[in-house]
Amino acid sequence: MRPITKLIAAAAVTAMAAVPALAEDSIYVPNLSYRTGPFAATGIPLMDGQRDYITMLNERDGGVGGIKIDLEECETGYSTKKGVECYERTKEKATVTQPWSTGITLGVLPKTNTDKIPILAPGYGFSPMANGKVFQWAFNPPASYWDGASMIMQYIAGGKMESLKGKKIALLHLDHPYGKEPIPLFEAMAAKYGFEFLPVPVGLKEMQSQSAQWLQIRRARPDNVIMWGWGAMNSAAIKEAIASGYPMDQFIGVWWSGHDGDLKSEGAAAKGYKSISWSVPVPDAPVMADVKKYVLDKGLSKADPENVNWVFYQRGMVISMILMEAIGEAQKKFGVKNVNAEQVRWGLENLDVTEARLKELGMSGMVPPFKTSCANHTGHSGAWMLEWDGAKFVKVSDLLQADASLIAPLEKTNGDAYAKAHAPWPVNENCKAM
Amino acid sequence: MLYRIAGQYKTSYTADQALFPVRQDAILLGIILVIAYVVFPLTASEYAFKALLLPVLVYALAALGLNILTGYAGQLSLGTGAFMGVGAYACSKLTTIFPEMNFIVAVLLSGFFSAGIGVVFGIPSLRIKGFYLAIATLAAQFFLVWLFEKWHWLNNYTSSGAIETRNFSMFGYYIAGPLAPTVVKYYLALVVVTLVTWLALNLTRGNLGRIWKATRDMDIAAELIGIRLMWSKLYAFAVSSYIIGVAGALFVFVAGDGAEPNAFDIPLSFTILFIAIIGGLGSVMGNFLGAILIVAIPAMLNDIPPLFNLTLESDVQEYINQILVGAMILFFLIIEPLGLASFWGLIREKLIIWPFPH
Repeated sequence: MRPITKLIAAAAVTAMAAVPALAEDSIYVPNLSYRTGPFAATGIPLMDGQRDYITMLNERDGGVGGIKIDLEECETGYSTKKGVECYERTKEKATVTQPWSTGITLGVLPKTNTDKIPILAPGYGFSPMANGKVFQWAFNPPASYWDGASMIMQYIAGGKMESLKGKKIALLHLDHPYGKEPIPLFEAMAAKYGFEFLPVPVGLKEMQSQSAQWLQIRRARPDNVIMWGWGAMNSAAIKEAIASGYPMDQFIGVWWSGHDGDLKSEGAAAKGYKSISWSVPVPDAPVMADVKKYVLDKGLSKADPENVNWVFYQRGMVISMILMEAIGEAQKKFGVKNVNAEQVRWGLENLDVTEARLKELGMSGMVPPFKTSCANHTGHSGAWMLEWDGAKFVKVSDLLQADASLIAPLEKTNGDAYAKAHAPWPVNENCKAM
Repeated sequence: MLYRIAGQYKTSYTADQALFPVRQDAILLGIILVIAYVVFPLTASEYAFKALLLPVLVYALAALGLNILTGYAGQLSLGTGAFMGVGAYACSKLTTIFPEMNFIVAVLLSGFFSAGIGVVFGIPSLRIKGFYLAIATLAAQFFLVWLFEKWHWLNNYTSSGAIETRNFSMFGYYIAGPLAPTVVKYYLALVVVTLVTWLALNLTRGNLGRIWKATRDMDIAAELIGIRLMWSKLYAFAVSSYIIGVAGALFVFVAGDGAEPNAFDIPLSFTILFIAIIGGLGSVMGNFLGAILIVAIPAMLNDIPPLFNLTLESDVQEYINQILVGAMILFFLIIEPLGLASFWGLIREKLIIWPFPH
């Protein structure tokens, strides 16, 4: 035989001889992750945390309720187009969708009622998704962006919201659905409490060079700068803030702008930078010991062992925990091990993560307890203010709670407006009105 | 032997002026249409529609528009993404202001808005050429995307600035929006693309097409023989932007489910330009070939490792995809710099004389 023919024959035989791996029964959980692109730096520790927690459960307990979890990552690079592509590719067997981008969430949200796969967007996505009456298939526990905005303002006001009158608050945000999400609430709060709200957008292409934005901030001299950044925007903003001499203790970021990796390179110069967060790294938590034992020491993790005490890594674990709790609840309620998407939806809607349960999981102190229900798809757990001390993030406040009186009406009106714009949109009439 | 064109005599002017005078070309076109209209809807999965077929159709249509402007009329334009956005937002506003308007009518009307904007930004072409014109159209790209973000009336005051798609129905069936079956959306896009392609084919081989080619090849000589350059160039911008606007409306309402303003940014313009270039400037078929290479192949690469029972990490897969696509583009451009359409033209020439060497 001619050499090329031999080669082709060999390849054919190998392909045929490869025995397909016997796929044991498992729950398929896709993750629309990004490990490439300008947002990879912030995405990777989160996705590592998610992955390692599930690997740990698979190794230690054989999965959840006796069945293994098959977590598959699909690379989106934060692009809405690839995100929708990944969603379409994985939706056959998927029990949940984890879009990891507010833009992708908005792209997938209209299809949830027809495709019937729940969206789990912990701490991101469309804030009105809390309104479970309208968004039956979308969940964003444990806190939404509007919660975060409210809590940050409460922290700034020191609990006395009247003291905000006359202040100037700038919102340095990514010019993307994610960054624009909290603006309606900020405008409502500015109108109610009498402070001046100044939105400062950073375009996707100018994330790395924010000199124009920081010049604007320097001229405006706001009392506080709140950052709604992600990916490369975070580190560039912090560098510019230090370079332009903006006082770090007046600079507060949302939970996605509190990344150890961004601040490590600045170190002590960034001391005083704060970030609100519903997850706190607890290095000596029992669950961390388990992750070390079953995953890191066995070499089953892609994460850098130095970074396992980063805020984002442990937040990824918390996020996986939320999903696993939902799966566990669904297994108990429906009496089946291999739960499907509809059952996981029920699980997400009936979460009750109590202090006692967190202790059982070995995650005490990592996340505030919260409870979801059909009217409340967020849980509104509250959050802590973290501060960078030069080397790591430390808790500097008690548990802050969002002001529901301002947020709940907005959730209702915006939810109804979305349903109207996407008519016909099925609404869960059985849900008690919010 | 297969492609023997000898013996195909035309006995009337109508027959001679047919779009595909060679019988084998017509048969090939027939086969492609059967595959597109019959085979794919019966066999393709929803993923294949959403990730492969619909994007290829929409991107090929936009590239067709750009090809008319750049390939036939020789006016380099980098504003394609923004013009798609104009079409999409126009369709969105038309259906918001006139909720009872038929969706297809709205799509076809939105092209006119895009054509108008295209003519406005094409006016610099009367004085500047080549790369300088590209910069002027880049200004259109930046300005329009900024406008989409800032002019809240355009995106109906949503907080994200994204176009939201509602469900459109015709004769009681949903044809666009999340409730519409994907097959229906595919047929909608396919019919629009077929119609516009047929129009483009006839336009480019007619009087207007020859005027455009003359403007492209040597505009001074064209002016000397009596071609009015202003009308030639502005017509090119108008027709091209109309097609691109329709493609934009389909991009948002049929191939996708809404889009934020950033979706119409420079990367989209460059993607369409690359499709037009790699497919072959100055051809209609090349746009489809280019779209398959640039849009469909990268998506299909993700499905290859499972065939060999290899599971690659997602980021490794992504990097390998990018390397492979880049290598394919390099390969095709090296073997045929004039693009895939002229590559096919070469193959066709060889087939005509096959099995003889010359």
